[in-house]
Amino acid sequence: MTIEVSSVSYLKNKKLILDKISFEIESGEILCILGPNGSGKSTLLNLISGYLSPTRGDIYIEGQNIKNISIEERAFIRSVMSQSQAIVFDFTVREIVEMGWLQRGLINFSENFEEAFSRAVNEAAIEDLVDKKFNVLSGGEQRRVHFSRTLLQSWRPSNSVEPKYLLLDEPTANLDIKHEQKLMKIVKKKAEDGIGVVIILHDINLAAKYSDKILILDSGIMKSFGRTFDVLNKEILEEVYDLPIVISNDPFKIIY
Amino acid sequence: MNFIFSYFFFLKFINRFQVVILSSFIFLTLFFFLVSISNGSFSFSLLSLFSLEDSLNKVVLYEIRIPRVLLAGFVGASLGLSGASLQGLFRNPLADPGLIGVSAGAALGAALLIVLGSSIIPEFIFNTFALPISAVTGAAIVITMLYFFTRGFGYQGITYMLLIGIAVNALASVGIGVLTFISSDSELRGLTFWTMGSFGGASWQIIIPALLIISFTVLWMIPAARKLDLLQLGEPEAYRLGIDVQKLKFKVIISSAITVGISVSLSGMIGFVGLVVPHLVRLIGGVNHSYLLPTSAFLGASLMMLADLLSRLLISPAEVPVGLITSALGAPFFLWLIYRSRQI
Repeated sequence: MTIEVSSVSYLKNKKLILDKISFEIESGEILCILGPNGSGKSTLLNLISGYLSPTRGDIYIEGQNIKNISIEERAFIRSVMSQSQAIVFDFTVREIVEMGWLQRGLINFSENFEEAFSRAVNEAAIEDLVDKKFNVLSGGEQRRVHFSRTLLQSWRPSNSVEPKYLLLDEPTANLDIKHEQKLMKIVKKKAEDGIGVVIILHDINLAAKYSDKILILDSGIMKSFGRTFDVLNKEILEEVYDLPIVISNDPFKIIY
Repeated sequence: MNFIFSYFFFLKFINRFQVVILSSFIFLTLFFFLVSISNGSFSFSLLSLFSLEDSLNKVVLYEIRIPRVLLAGFVGASLGLSGASLQGLFRNPLADPGLIGVSAGAALGAALLIVLGSSIIPEFIFNTFALPISAVTGAAIVITMLYFFTRGFGYQGITYMLLIGIAVNALASVGIGVLTFISSDSELRGLTFWTMGSFGGASWQIIIPALLIISFTVLWMIPAARKLDLLQLGEPEAYRLGIDVQKLKFKVIISSAITVGISVSLSGMIGFVGLVVPHLVRLIGGVNHSYLLPTSAFLGASLMMLADLLSRLLISPAEVPVGLITSALGAPFFLWLIYRSRQI
């Protein structure tokens, strides 16, 4: 159960955004992508989700090239939370979350939907918000609503063995520390349930606390990839972020 | 089974309140239909409709009144629906087939054919097929132009779109002006008659193909409602939720071009219905397209039959052009909208 990224390069307006990136995402693991602004993190996530096509190289989901998977089928395999756009019309929070529901064939809608919907709402802690208008919420609340929608999209019947991946682009942006920790715990639990998670974070300590593996990008080049504590070392971080960095153990903490 | 289920799947996302509103608009449409066919320069009482003995009254009712009211209803429904779906596609509440130049494109297409083609094409083909096709082509050309100028209907293209609408409207009136100038007397008569905007020309022979095509297009469009909802999250998000965005755009554009083109070819330019109707529907019951699209169609139909009834009654037995009535009611509403959005 893997997504394989195989020497993927991406050019935009003849400028190299990503250069020969290769790694694997395994289900049940949290892979965190770190890197300075403009290092190509979001582009990489867009490539994995199939929204962009690599200029060179290929991406395989369960051994099947993503090019050969239909747009509709991809939605069942992975759900994506990105840095979202403004919504013009005045939708309610309930309507926004419902947009994450994928209907597969004739599967019993009324039973499954209600259960999946209330679970997604509970997990994102937005019970109080469901009947409000989306556009009056604060930035952090809107993030949680989108997170809930992403969770609803990743719902699968309890007996299903189909692969699922969660791709999250800075899900903790604008969140207070309580909701940040809550969201990360849910992500962790999803990984324990067998879902593969790719997450872009800016907070290195948050990444250290929750991720199993880390990939560090700098100017489109993969600087490092591996187990969290192998990757997070002083030399690499100082080089990538161009800052003096101190790492203290027990508890593990990166000070900058 | 699977097909029927997936066709009606969009209905799962309408809440109870919205079901009540939708059903009341369906009743309103039936009500206005009955009121419209029984009033006019000839009046019938509703009870006597089914037991008409007098042959003159019968002819008026079945050959003139009913086709006319049906046409008004269908044109209203297609303008309301295409307004709602274009607003959804552009993610912009100001999109309206009239404002963005689609109706003007259709009008220019129709005018070109009236002046250049009416002497060549036999009459029975002309009104039923040639005129609608030419209007649909004009509408499709304008929508394709909009597509390229707004870089694929992106969110950034709002101002572009309205400015292009102004330019297209100006170009179309130049075109129609030139055509008026070069046309012969009989062509001029056809052109003038047509641009005034009226349902007066309706006969079964002309409206049946149009009603069939509009009905099929509407049935093809309505299930796209949920996809239009997802599109509101932005194109990348809709894509990630499994929507083929290019296909959806194509569907909305083609169906709007067809319905608006046919409506304009049969009834002339009728402004503001496509803008006002979806707004009213949103104000009453919510913004999700599963509710918005069908409700806009029914409210559009009701309002258009009402406007047509007013146009027949106000200075009876003469008629006020129906386009005049919709603009007189719609333009102040549009001003109010702009005023309100300035306050936010």
